[in-house]
Amino acid sequence: MQRLNNKLGLFSALPMLSILAIAFFAPLLVVAIFSSMPPKVFTLTHIPDFSAYSVFFQQGFYRSLLWSLGAAFISTVILLVVCWPLAFGMAKIFKSFTLVLTIAVVMSLFVSENIRLFGWVLTLMKGGLIEGHMRAWLGIGFDSPLYGVPVIVFGLVYAYLPFMLFPLAQGIATVPDDARQAAADLGASRWQIFAQIDVPLAAPGIVVGCLLCFVLSAGAVAESKILGGQAIITITDDIETAFTFGQDWPLGSALSVIFIAIVSVFALLAISVVDLDKIMGRKR
Amino acid sequence: MTSEPLLRLQGVMKRYGDFTALHNIDLDIQEGEFFTIVGPSGSGKSTMIRLIVGMDEVTDGSIWLRGKRIDETPANLRPTCMVFQSLALFPHMSVGQNIEFPLKLRKIAHNQRRARALELLELLRLPPNCYAKRISQCSGGEQQRVALARALAFDPEILLFDEPLSSLDYRLRKTLEKELKDLHHRTGKTFVYITHSLEEAMVMSDRIAIMHNGRFEQIAVADEIYSRPVSRFVAEFMGEVNLFDVEYRDSVLTSSDLTIRPNNAAKADPADGKGQLMVRPEDVRFGKDTNDFDYVLFGQLMDEYILGSRIQYEVRTAAGKLVTVEKPREDRTQYEIGSEVILGFKATNTHFIPAD
Amino acid sequence: MPALRSTRIALLIYGLFVICLLYLPLISVGFASISRARYISFPIRRYSTQWYGEALQSGTVRDLLVTSLSVAVIVTICSVIIAFFGALAFARYEWRYRTVFQKLILLPIFFPQTVLGLALLMWFNALGIIPTWKTAVVAHLVWITPIATLIVAIRAYGFDSALEEAARDLGASTRTILREITLPLLMPGLVTAGLFAFLLSWGNFPLSLFTTGADSTLPEWLYAKMVSGYSPLVPTLGIMSVVASIFLIIISFAVIWLVQKSKALTQV
Repeated sequence: MQRLNNKLGLFSALPMLSILAIAFFAPLLVVAIFSSMPPKVFTLTHIPDFSAYSVFFQQGFYRSLLWSLGAAFISTVILLVVCWPLAFGMAKIFKSFTLVLTIAVVMSLFVSENIRLFGWVLTLMKGGLIEGHMRAWLGIGFDSPLYGVPVIVFGLVYAYLPFMLFPLAQGIATVPDDARQAAADLGASRWQIFAQIDVPLAAPGIVVGCLLCFVLSAGAVAESKILGGQAIITITDDIETAFTFGQDWPLGSALSVIFIAIVSVFALLAISVVDLDKIMGRKR
Repeated sequence: MTSEPLLRLQGVMKRYGDFTALHNIDLDIQEGEFFTIVGPSGSGKSTMIRLIVGMDEVTDGSIWLRGKRIDETPANLRPTCMVFQSLALFPHMSVGQNIEFPLKLRKIAHNQRRARALELLELLRLPPNCYAKRISQCSGGEQQRVALARALAFDPEILLFDEPLSSLDYRLRKTLEKELKDLHHRTGKTFVYITHSLEEAMVMSDRIAIMHNGRFEQIAVADEIYSRPVSRFVAEFMGEVNLFDVEYRDSVLTSSDLTIRPNNAAKADPADGKGQLMVRPEDVRFGKDTNDFDYVLFGQLMDEYILGSRIQYEVRTAAGKLVTVEKPREDRTQYEIGSEVILGFKATNTHFIPAD
Repeated sequence: MPALRSTRIALLIYGLFVICLLYLPLISVGFASISRARYISFPIRRYSTQWYGEALQSGTVRDLLVTSLSVAVIVTICSVIIAFFGALAFARYEWRYRTVFQKLILLPIFFPQTVLGLALLMWFNALGIIPTWKTAVVAHLVWITPIATLIVAIRAYGFDSALEEAARDLGASTRTILREITLPLLMPGLVTAGLFAFLLSWGNFPLSLFTTGADSTLPEWLYAKMVSGYSPLVPTLGIMSVVASIFLIIISFAVIWLVQKSKALTQV
């Protein structure tokens, strides 16, 4: 049986593995090799000099990296706070509304991210849905909050809300009601139940949600471009620019490698934490 | 039982990594037998039938069916069939489609399949209109019968059961146990049944095997296992039991737990050595006089439990041992709880279990 | 410890508020798409459907739609087939490297899509392949197939592995088991996965941006126009894209519902 299972398993995994090999790992390898090439070359046939990495420090690209990581960190923290009550409701309180909420949130993901962000521009801009109507009906106008750092963070929170909400709800759902009731019975206050029971037992969901959101928002570019009017330059933006306008593939590759290295730490951490069999409800 | 066995296991061993689930199992099962394997969970009984039907591979040893070696044959080509604990009925098929599944695989014509399925429904006392029902519309008892019908449709040489009744409520289980025994009788097939419930095993089986830590402790008919267990594990597994540490020296029984009356040195057991004397609670009696018994105990009545038709007493002996006594309800004693009592039993009701 | 009524209501209101916020931008886009003015300003003074008319007649728009549709359809078909087998390896078969495989396919989901798109661009360049919408299919597959696999895997986890063992015990070969037991039982998961695959491909722009070469998908074009060089067609096409998605979702649900209903009818 084990032999048959090994054979069937490998055979079934093969198509997926081939895709990963030829369209994920191979390109990453090419990026790594390109990052070692001298400036502004477009082939891999040059002698590596790793000069692109020194540019990273000289030309202040670390600033955009820090901006990206900082914005990602802040938006992750905000997401955690914003999503917790809702996730708790989904896992423990709502009944049919959980399904409504799930469907509504998943459906929103099917709308291209840029259309939704553009919608926010129309909503928040001067003469937009909010300001325009307020001025027309109440006579009070205000300056547009667009094109600044806070609105970029807002965009990140908005765009990645589902990626925090669902892992959190999943994590909280695994907290046994009995344990919460027993704690209450033993005299724990709401806050103590939260700190002593909910958080430790829902920890896998919390960790996965946070790391997922952090990694995704660190790599985000559309929020700063569409909502932020490039008030800050993100690292992904720099990478993109190096490839397109800059026409410096080795530089873009080096930036990518540095960024991927940092983000991978978090991504791999998240991946090593999750027990997929458990999360997805495997039987036996 | 001298004829060639239907199924023979020879030195069968199963290891999962460092864990040995089955140690060197030898077993013969005769044609037409209802053979039950009983054991606590983790004793290796499920592993054993998974090996027989081919869902797992033996690490060592061989399995023979009618003199033909089958342990290398893939599960789908073995003439064995198993009824799963979860029943494993296909939820996307109707009752009829489930029963016809093995027939369809053999490319049997549609109307013949249907006829056979209806026959099987009748055999299992299911109404013919069940045929078109969805599995989810069937009750627990009906699902059991459908699973059986599907297994019978396969027409296996040997039919195996992996605790299929364990999830049912008590009354339905009792009904189905009797039906299963009846079905065994009517079909004449060989049944190998696994359960952790001894009661279930006793009701249905011709022979019972007690399994413990991947080994057979004892294989015998029900009555013998009950009255003459070979080990302390079997004795205790078979229900409430009183065990006393004893020793035979020069064929004379001695014990610190018991007062043994002279001339009643019990049945002659062959070898000298330490061991335990077993007596079932129903064989222990209250007495007025030590002369009533071969073995005597003095103690204090600690508690009384009413178990429906029977009453159980707990007595703490002078040596500090707790002894259980069981009586039919109508023989309830008049002793007060806390009073001093004399207990005893006859030598013929005891059984000596030598220490391992 | 049943939650207090007030807590329940407060959370419910909060949930509704979040849903409203999620869809608020689409309302703005919707209004903007029927505004007559070239540059939108609220409150809208004159409504008109002229931009829809223009969009429907435009050759550019037709090309965008055809490209987006071709990519999405091919991605859907490929990812469902790969995900079917992938999910079996993920959830069913007890093979040696199962947990490694499980973690491996999460990597592309976690990976920043823009960087992945650029990496693919360089990879295609190194191979001497000129990017077209066909290369975008490959890019989408890297990201979408793992998601489709996870969706099918959830379904695969949901049914008892004893069903397959029972079928084998009753005489079915590996192929027959796949056809008669596994495939029908996974079907709802496959339909869901297909729907996800289509919609995610239909709406994706970070991956398309660098991998379509001279071709352009709808979201890609929208993004380009949003970032630089506004066009009054942006809200219109955005809404058209959303409406197409909703339409597809409704059709899928209708098909699933009809299939279930007809099954129920033939069986009882």
